Amino acid sequence: MKRVNVRKIFSVGIYLSLLSLTYNLNAQTDWVRWEGKETLYELPAIHHHDNTVDKSSFGMILLSVLRNTYYFFISDLDGDNCPFEPSCSAFFLQSVKETSIFKGSLMFADRFTRDINFFKGTDHYPLLTSRKFSDPANNYTLHSEKIKL
Amino acid sequence: MISKTKPNKKLLITILLIIIPLTTANCQLTTDGNILSFQNRLRFGNYLYKDQDYLRAADEFKEYLRSENNDTVVFRLANSYFQIGRYTEAAGNFKGLFFNSQLSEEARLMFYESIFFQNDYKLFRVLAEERNFDSSLYGKDIERLKYISYFLDNTDLPSENIVLKSFPDSVQSRLINFYQQKKFPQHKSPTTAAILSTLIPGAGKIYTGEIGDGITSLIATALTTYLAITNFNADHQFRGWLFSGLAAFFYAGNIYGSAASAQIYNARIQFNFDKEVKLFFEQRNYFLPKVDY
Amino acid sequence: MFVFSVKAQDHLSIQLDLANNLFNNKQYYDAITEYKRLQFFDSTKTFNYEINYKIGECYKAGAKYDDAVKYFSLAELNARTDNELFDSKIQIIRTNILRRTSDRALQLCDELEKDERFNGKRDEINYWRGWAFIFADNWDAAAKSFAKINSNHELIKLAEQTEKAKVSVTFAKVISYILPGAGAIYTGNFLSGLMSLGWNLLSGYWTINSFVENRVFDGIVVGELVWLRFYRGAIQNAEEFAFEKNLEVSNKSLRYLQNEYKGIKP
Repeated sequence: MKRVNVRKIFSVGIYLSLLSLTYNLNAQTDWVRWEGKETLYELPAIHHHDNTVDKSSFGMILLSVLRNTYYFFISDLDGDNCPFEPSCSAFFLQSVKETSIFKGSLMFADRFTRDINFFKGTDHYPLLTSRKFSDPANNYTLHSEKIKL
Repeated sequence: MISKTKPNKKLLITILLIIIPLTTANCQLTTDGNILSFQNRLRFGNYLYKDQDYLRAADEFKEYLRSENNDTVVFRLANSYFQIGRYTEAAGNFKGLFFNSQLSEEARLMFYESIFFQNDYKLFRVLAEERNFDSSLYGKDIERLKYISYFLDNTDLPSENIVLKSFPDSVQSRLINFYQQKKFPQHKSPTTAAILSTLIPGAGKIYTGEIGDGITSLIATALTTYLAITNFNADHQFRGWLFSGLAAFFYAGNIYGSAASAQIYNARIQFNFDKEVKLFFEQRNYFLPKVDY
Repeated sequence: MFVFSVKAQDHLSIQLDLANNLFNNKQYYDAITEYKRLQFFDSTKTFNYEINYKIGECYKAGAKYDDAVKYFSLAELNARTDNELFDSKIQIIRTNILRRTSDRALQLCDELEKDERFNGKRDEINYWRGWAFIFADNWDAAAKSFAKINSNHELIKLAEQTEKAKVSVTFAKVISYILPGAGAIYTGNFLSGLMSLGWNLLSGYWTINSFVENRVFDGIVVGELVWLRFYRGAIQNAEEFAFEKNLEVSNKSLRYLQNEYKGIKP
């Protein structure tokens, strides 16, 4: 009988502390004005390759089309192989867009080497919710102010 | 069975007795009947303020201040903005209490805090020199905040003695450590990394701590070079050139990547240092005294 | 004294009207302010149930479900009748459905069903249980829940049709193990399925040919880097296509429920 009481008091204590927690958290919800919002019933769609053609320059159009061709004939058919986000092909396009075709190719060569390294892990790359390693092109442009960890 | 359920009911009643006053506390009767009178707005605002519902509290205080003048309410209005991170509005309202107010000292401290938490440390240091805003009560706290700001941005640090003397003895050794790290960060040179990789593929990456990447790069370059040579020797011209191209691709990519890797290494050191320093000061609430009215 | 309390009561009623007006105009943030003001000045706690219930509704309308559950729970504590108790509990269930914590919603439905006070409200409980199953993407169980209300319930047909339109993820995968690309064709992705099959035939031929011609190294490289890759890819794609097709089937029904269905929604 005594043991039951102790347990109950303990659980009531936990409940009260949780309640006081929500009591404080509640205030934070309203620290910014908000409007009514309808939740979409739909389930979130699956993420696909980005197929948009980059029209910023002739070179980028050519590269985007090449990339899409690669997606269509190979990448969409051989399964999910790249452990990085963005994938190697997308990384290449980002690199060229951020720098130049020459520097972008060097960045891609480095990325490719890092990709075939068997021992890559979370100590060097942050893991995203998609279970992929985050490795954006802007970290490799040799402009240290662009690095985001 | 009955004896078992009885204590449950008692317990339930006890819980309800504890919870209901907790959740519906502070109810007051209207005396003049008009719920929206400025006095009632103030009472409701004070209740919201205690409940940490700061944005709503601020709206009530603003309404009250339209018809009445009260320094405590202005202070609370400013502090409401401060608490929800609207530091510019907070600073503006605290500044209004600088002169001819009983709360002048506290308002000055909170004004500086508002500027500090906007993360514009350069502006903070300029304002900290403003003699007009001096606080006799909290001058030391504001000065300490100024020295903390040096740890949080990229400005050159003043001399060690000046910085350290504002802080208590218990944290001196930690701060000396931070000071040294900030002044002489353990960086790796991108140029050295690139040169190392030019001499031995992958060496630059090993230098920056990316051992796996370095070895991979060495193997990839060596293997493609070997395949290029054997194919040329066997008179397979096309394959020879193909593997030569690949070897050059890996070799050059690695030199570039080693320099980039050194930069990322440095950025990571900086990032971790900034995080550690921020946490250190945050845990000690930036050595600030607690003021509230 | 009597006159005074009537007067105060009047003010409180006016305040309640003001708050309700804001609520009806979808100004939820301001409505909460006014409900809180009413609560603060309502010394007799006459409106405690209504206030907490309404604040819960405001947060629910703003998709702030954790806060909504908190206030509906407060309403539950302040309920004066079984009906009020039931209404606040149902609101908690509906909020859990929208929050996609369907397990919690189903658990609460079970608890309500066991409560003898609510024996006459089984239909309503089953209705929300059906919705909880819909949000858990379990259309079969949803159909069964709606059937308990009425064998002609309009949502039975929708749930059954949705369930029927779905493809089997396992089947799509298994047939892809046997014939690469078959799973993709089964889910309606003909071009992708045929291209998968083509790659597998081509790389299979390369691999076998290399071994036949005694080029073992080439055989291993092509087998591992090309054939196996496309073989695995075909299975992965079959699973993904089937999953995506089912998602689209569910979403079509969910869109109908959100935009066209006239009945009461969570």
